[in-house]
Amino acid sequence: MNWNLGEALRRWARWFRPGLGVLLVLLILYPLWGTGYGVRVLLQLFMWIALAQSWNLISGLTGYVSFGHVAFFGMGAYTAGILVTQGVLWPLAALAGGAMAVILAFVIGWPCLRLKGPYFAIAMLGLNEVLRVAASYFEGLTGGGLGLSLPTLDASVRVYYAMGVVAAAVTVLTHAIVTSRFGLRLMTIREDEVAAEAMGIDTFRYKIYAFLLSAAAPGIVGGLAARDMGYIEPVSVFPLVTTITMIVMVLFGGKGTIWGPVLGAVILFGFQELVWAHFPHAHQVLLGAIIITVVLAMPRGILGVLQQKYNLPRTI
Amino acid sequence: MTPVITPIMLGQVIVSGLLAGALYAMVALGLGLIFGVMRVLNVAHGPLLMLGAYVTYWLFSTLGLNPYLSLLVSMPVVFLIGVALQRFLVRRVVDAPELSSLLLTFGISIALVNLAQLAFTSDLRSVEFITGSFLIGPFAFSKSRVIACLFAGGITALAFLFLQKTRLGKAIRAVSQSREVAQVCGINVQRIHLFAFGLASALAAAGGTLVTVMVAIQPEMGAVYTFKSFLVIVLGGAGNYPGALLGGLLLGLVEQLASLFLTTQVNEAVAYVLLVLVLLLRPTGLLGGRST
Amino acid sequence: MPIILQVKNLVKRFGGVTAVNGVSLALEAGKIYGLIGPNGSGKTTLFNCITGIEERDAGAVGFKGRRIDGLKPHQIFHRGIGRTFQIIRVFPELTARENLMVVTSGDLERARQRAEELLRFVKLERLADEYAGNLSYGQQKLVEFIRVLMTDPELILLDEPAAGVNRTLLNELLDAVRALRDRGKTILLVEHDMKVVMGLCETVFVLDHGEKLAEGPPGVIQSDERVIEAYFGR
Repeated sequence: MNWNLGEALRRWARWFRPGLGVLLVLLILYPLWGTGYGVRVLLQLFMWIALAQSWNLISGLTGYVSFGHVAFFGMGAYTAGILVTQGVLWPLAALAGGAMAVILAFVIGWPCLRLKGPYFAIAMLGLNEVLRVAASYFEGLTGGGLGLSLPTLDASVRVYYAMGVVAAAVTVLTHAIVTSRFGLRLMTIREDEVAAEAMGIDTFRYKIYAFLLSAAAPGIVGGLAARDMGYIEPVSVFPLVTTITMIVMVLFGGKGTIWGPVLGAVILFGFQELVWAHFPHAHQVLLGAIIITVVLAMPRGILGVLQQKYNLPRTI
Repeated sequence: MTPVITPIMLGQVIVSGLLAGALYAMVALGLGLIFGVMRVLNVAHGPLLMLGAYVTYWLFSTLGLNPYLSLLVSMPVVFLIGVALQRFLVRRVVDAPELSSLLLTFGISIALVNLAQLAFTSDLRSVEFITGSFLIGPFAFSKSRVIACLFAGGITALAFLFLQKTRLGKAIRAVSQSREVAQVCGINVQRIHLFAFGLASALAAAGGTLVTVMVAIQPEMGAVYTFKSFLVIVLGGAGNYPGALLGGLLLGLVEQLASLFLTTQVNEAVAYVLLVLVLLLRPTGLLGGRST
Repeated sequence: MPIILQVKNLVKRFGGVTAVNGVSLALEAGKIYGLIGPNGSGKTTLFNCITGIEERDAGAVGFKGRRIDGLKPHQIFHRGIGRTFQIIRVFPELTARENLMVVTSGDLERARQRAEELLRFVKLERLADEYAGNLSYGQQKLVEFIRVLMTDPELILLDEPAAGVNRTLLNELLDAVRALRDRGKTILLVEHDMKVVMGLCETVFVLDHGEKLAEGPPGVIQSDERVIEAYFGR
């Protein structure tokens, strides 16, 4: 076949920006002619893009793998849920959810980010369990194991736009970081933390910044998701599978890149919609298998493979 | 209104803690072996324990086999599973940065847990074999706990004897200290890796077998043991095998003591807080070991 | 010349092994010093303690009159001490230019210019946009060397700069080191290549089993019996 993928990619690259613009316009107009079901599906896709991009900010750039990232999602969900039942408007409640998530990130990050990478990962592994326990424990506030119900509201379209804005914002943020010296410094932590320290980079401070930034969007979309679902319980907002999915999306698409998490989110979300509903456990076995395959065969994900093979720039 | 704590309660709790600790120590020793020999953090350790538990359950429910006898089956079976995992998957990331092995074993654990879900469903199972307590003076100790402790202690003692006295055991310790030197001394490091992973898996499986009579068996039962094993390794010092023993006993003690003051739900938070504290204050462990 | 670095009775233990056992030394500004000793004598550990990568167990380190022991590595770097490593530690997924620019703060444009100036200095300007991981061993070594110079540190610690480097490149490196000294910088290098040490250093410290065995000009050290014994056995 006389068709060189590299050449093709380069030629198509010129169409990327305008193409993206068209896609954005279509997405903005979609609720006008789309079905309610379609809106809800896309809304969830936006949510996953926001989650994956956020996880990429800490784990993809600094190499500090956060196994408990769903904690921020759940924190945002509960914060917003509680506020909404107290009469606060849901957009504000969602932002408050984001703020609480950032505070939680600071509380956890302050002690845990002093640890070296693998130890940090271990500490984060336990985080899920602790938070789930905490949500059950503070029953008065959170409704405990029985869950928390929000007053009913049909806000799907508005949540759709809100989620879309967050997803776009995190992508823009990622682009800004990856093309800046701040981003380079984050990457040196991943490349060689000892050398980074020796070269004057206060790695602890940069790790904290990245961690805080990575918690904001999950907090906000957690709050938005709470509004959308109308009902939250510990098991639904702190499920391990959410973290697993975030991780797989980013690993598969390409960690440390700008569009890798988006690519991974789109592909895996599509897959999830088809398989998950019917075979949840088989789906998770597959997620595990994907992680194994990616780690062994393509550690830099799809975009990483393309970058290496066709010498694409790092900032894609 | 704080409960009045009598010396008897204290004594009961301390011994209970040590009983539980022996089990933690045995399982954690496995995790420690994998880390010491290969520098791999095995997130799939809990699921291996779970597999041991299901082997025992299956033998008990179909053949009525004494759960303690099934140790003779669960340990070898899971040993082989561990060897297979090492040979085909883990071996490839032994030299990679530690996060690769962390992610890999994470992926393996997800796959194992969900395969178990498919095979056994998430229905809670149990093995009704021994109930009741031994009554010694004013103390009451659950029979299953005492027996589990005896077996765990025995197996751990055997493991240590093995590490100290046999050639293979010494080779394992040599590789833990320095892979290059061990190679130069003619030790087949690949084979040591295979064996160590298998042995570690067998220890986890033993833990699984022993807890079948005490807790509900379900696919996710292993996760808490993975975490606690990490905690024990951190407490005792990474790469410090006797330290795992001490760490296990310490964890058991702290947990039981905490249960005097806190509700059982918060129990796990205790382990977690303990982990973060130790990692912050003495990352090389209470007994001192290697840092990653 | 004033004393720029003072190490007093530094002790560092690893478990049962005492890697550095009460080492003291003083460096005058504007000279080139060598640190030699058989393998395992504690040279790199000493470097690590000075630069804060390892925490010392006892003793003090003073730089320009102020104590720096106990500070974190990035703080020590900003005080004016730069170092290279025994095993090259460039950032492989960053380009050569990015490896340099990531070190400085402040004006990006000035950082870029300085980076390019240093790349020209070692004749690597055409590789500025190449990923550091793709460069040859010698090229990476040069990048690591000029990376240290980005912030113009006053004290430069070089850990085995000659290791694995061909003669031509080595001579360029040595010329660069002399040029730095002429500009008033102080250099302390760990080295096994005796010709380099003897030809370059004004004073040499000898470590053996974590202790300072001898100190003096290269010619004297070369003929010191204890030094010969330490290297060639008892």
